[in-house]
Amino acid sequence: MTTRSKPRPETATGELPAQRAIDDPVVAQPDVPVVVAPGDAASRSVAASAGLLGTRILRQYSLVFLLVASFVLYSTWNKTSSVFLTGDSLRVMVAGQAVIGVLTLGILVTMVAGNFDLSVGNIAGLSQIMTATLYAKHGWGMWAGIVAGIAIGGFVGGINGLLVTILRVDPFIITLGTASAILGFIDWYTKDQSIVTGIPAGITHFGRNNFFGVPDIVWVLAIVAVVIYYLLEHTPYGRNLHAIGSNRAAARLVGIRVERSIAMAFVINGIFAGIAGVLMLARAGAGNPQIPPTLALTALAGAFLGAASFKVGRLNVPGTIVALLFLAVNITGLQYAGVANWINEMFTGLSLIFAIALAAVLSKERSVKKTRKSA
Amino acid sequence: MPTVMAGPRTALAMRGLSKTYAGHLALDSLFLRIRAGEIHALLGGNGSGKSTTIKILAGVVTADPGGELVVGEGEPVGLHDWTPAKAQAAGLRFVHQQPAVFPELSIAENLALGAEFPRGLGGRVDWRALNARTAELLERYEIHASPKTPLAALRAADRCRVAIVRALQDRDDADSGVLILDEPTAALPAAEVEHLLEALRGYAAAGQTILYVSHRLDEVLSVADRVTVLRDGRKVDTVEAEGLTEADLIEMIVGRPLDRVFPAAPLDSTDDAALTIRGLRGGPLRGVDLTLRKGEVLGIAGLLGSGRSELLRMLFGAYPVEGGSVTLDGAEYAPGSPQAAMKAGVAYVPEDRQAEALLSGESIRHNLTAGQESSYFRKFLYRHRLERNDAQRSIGDFLIRVVSDTNPVETLSGGNQQKVVMARWLRRRPKVLLLDEPTQGVDVGARAEIYQLIRRATEQGTSVILVVSEPEELAHASDRVAVLRGGRITTVVERPIDAHKLTELMNIPQVAVGEGSS
Ligand SMILES: Nc1ncnc2c1ncn2[C@@H]1O[C@H](COP(=O)(O)OP(=O)(O)OP(=O)(O)O)[C@@H](O)[C@H]1O
Ligand SMILES: [Mg+2]
Repeated sequence: MTTRSKPRPETATGELPAQRAIDDPVVAQPDVPVVVAPGDAASRSVAASAGLLGTRILRQYSLVFLLVASFVLYSTWNKTSSVFLTGDSLRVMVAGQAVIGVLTLGILVTMVAGNFDLSVGNIAGLSQIMTATLYAKHGWGMWAGIVAGIAIGGFVGGINGLLVTILRVDPFIITLGTASAILGFIDWYTKDQSIVTGIPAGITHFGRNNFFGVPDIVWVLAIVAVVIYYLLEHTPYGRNLHAIGSNRAAARLVGIRVERSIAMAFVINGIFAGIAGVLMLARAGAGNPQIPPTLALTALAGAFLGAASFKVGRLNVPGTIVALLFLAVNITGLQYAGVANWINEMFTGLSLIFAIALAAVLSKERSVKKTRKSA
Repeated sequence: MPTVMAGPRTALAMRGLSKTYAGHLALDSLFLRIRAGEIHALLGGNGSGKSTTIKILAGVVTADPGGELVVGEGEPVGLHDWTPAKAQAAGLRFVHQQPAVFPELSIAENLALGAEFPRGLGGRVDWRALNARTAELLERYEIHASPKTPLAALRAADRCRVAIVRALQDRDDADSGVLILDEPTAALPAAEVEHLLEALRGYAAAGQTILYVSHRLDEVLSVADRVTVLRDGRKVDTVEAEGLTEADLIEMIVGRPLDRVFPAAPLDSTDDAALTIRGLRGGPLRGVDLTLRKGEVLGIAGLLGSGRSELLRMLFGAYPVEGGSVTLDGAEYAPGSPQAAMKAGVAYVPEDRQAEALLSGESIRHNLTAGQESSYFRKFLYRHRLERNDAQRSIGDFLIRVVSDTNPVETLSGGNQQKVVMARWLRRRPKVLLLDEPTQGVDVGARAEIYQLIRRATEQGTSVILVVSEPEELAHASDRVAVLRGGRITTVVERPIDAHKLTELMNIPQVAVGEGSS
């Protein structure tokens, strides 16, 4: 140990008060513990915590407030109030959200583990058109077709998963690739022909019927939400996905099978995309080779927006549901108000930007996580 | 001879510094004054508010209203609207406890982000000048790497040193401002600590003021002029370091005298081998022969780069093995992955907490459970209550200071994060426990407790391999110490273990065969 000469003109007991007043420009406060009046610290702490609690609640439930506010707005605004708050309109609104809802909940599974799947929309489109073809051209039974449609989704998801984990390429790029390959395949396979005949009546009925006043396909959405919630928050597998998303190296070192879990997540994601595809077919009653190009982005927007509420900064199912309803209410409301159809994509796009900006702000508050994640 | 009687100038002073985190008072009306040109150590137990103080000074955490700050000769300013830009302009330079270095960028880029990219024609980055300047800095600080090496390729200790260099790089000749370091040595091996302290002394001698947080008391006593001790967010006292002993400091930090001697091993430890390593090769290891006895704590002494960490990682199936054999409880043991190692009853606490152990963003409870989730999943239901009870027990056993176990783990102080990682593994009752710097950033009080917990585990049959850089601590905590040098075990030291002897054994220069006989 080296000792250093200490030329400080002081003793261990400190300086004289008078001296301190000269050399200490802040105050002539003694260099000893500050005695605080009893209750002072406590009251300050309570006040501060009340403020903090307030902002936390505001943040956790901001989207819920916005949802309620938009709902009230369209229910009272004279341009929309006559049509908005009717059972039929609400049914149409929620049913219109079922397909995208199932896609969004499915994509959560991959996103929680820190991955993206930009091909979900096209996977859904593929299983929709393939199921229609199996019915119309090959005479498959209703249930066999449904199972096949879902299995096709799982299969393509599996390909995504294998590519991502074996090639170790950014899932963003891989799934962008598969998305485009699927489009090409659909084009070639269908020769761009819609399939309008030969769809079983059972399945088209299912797309239109209500059960206890709620559209059948919305029941499907509800069941999917429960399943995903259970999977992500109440199974070891879901918890492992969260761990992988948080810190992949650490997840590996606590014995989580990282590659296998991620590949599995893509399969599950694909299966739910397959379900969404079958729902698409049920709603439209026909197989359509034109896949809406914005499905995957809308799903991403919903998931990101959902991460801004309830468990702030964490992708979660309740938040996602609120986000989906928020998008549905506003898009429907604006359409009733007479705004043209383009508002649909416009609003979704803006929400996506808003959601990602919000996610960026939130993650800055937890900057440690982000800088480490890329390690 | 200076004749002014008005005492030393003040470089930095703050008053009424308070911080409340979600109803929890982390700092309570702190008063702190740093004199120009001194090395001032800020000490205190885990969660006592040291990092919070520093983050407030850096402007990255906002203090509660009411606090005031003075830098140098400046006017007092309110601390609640202090920003990183103002801190930078005032000449404050920081190395935080979790330094914000960018692993995927090169060393040169990391340094440039702390200062400025040298510019060439038309504002383009002048890479040649940047690399030259970086090479010079690396040389001066004795970091053996090229400026273009990505930071991720460096080991934890070197990453930390780059962060220090980044803070120091533009402060060579300035004698204003303050250099503020939060546990810069927590992840550094002893030899490098001395290097760093030497550098700090040099800066202080040149007039640089330094504020410095550490849990290594010997180091504090060797380098600091004055010491401020915090406890539970309040200041205990500020004292001159001269004449203080470690025992004095411990008493101030913990609030009571503490026996620093770690619990001794039961003398009747058996000769049964838990783990037998023969000729293990791979990476820096060139044939390690080692026997870990049942129920013992076997320390590994070795310098940086001696392969200590690699040895542990091989035993955990997380580093490629090139040759040799290992038996665990008499059966052949060659884990191909961490899962296989865990299945065989081996546990591993890695050296780099942030990068390899913490699940940030996840709750404390989930961090404790990590990897063990399936044990709570029965009959298709996740037993959250069971998990919570276990988490509460670990929090109690390991003296982890938490507000709620559902808070994200990154809201804990550094030492408490480390305890979470320790608890994650120790509560599994592993057969063999591999520990790489298990007490980094843990305060003196809790450090003794952690060794007690390790001891309790060994009494129940766990065998431990312990890597610790501080020879003193290694000597105290181990039953035997194996010295790793040149990729082989050169000696095994039995009790009583002498720390100085260990340091000597680690540092003997490698003598090539045939040399030295003349
Ligand atoms: N972001 C946060 N949210 C909530 N509480 C926090 C947050 N950051 C710190 N705390 C709490 O503030 C207290 C002081 O923490 P701080 O990090 O300053 O401790 P420390 O003295 O640096 O400890 P260590 O020696 O372990 O690094 C701790 O009780 C900690 O749990
Ligand atoms: Mg700290």
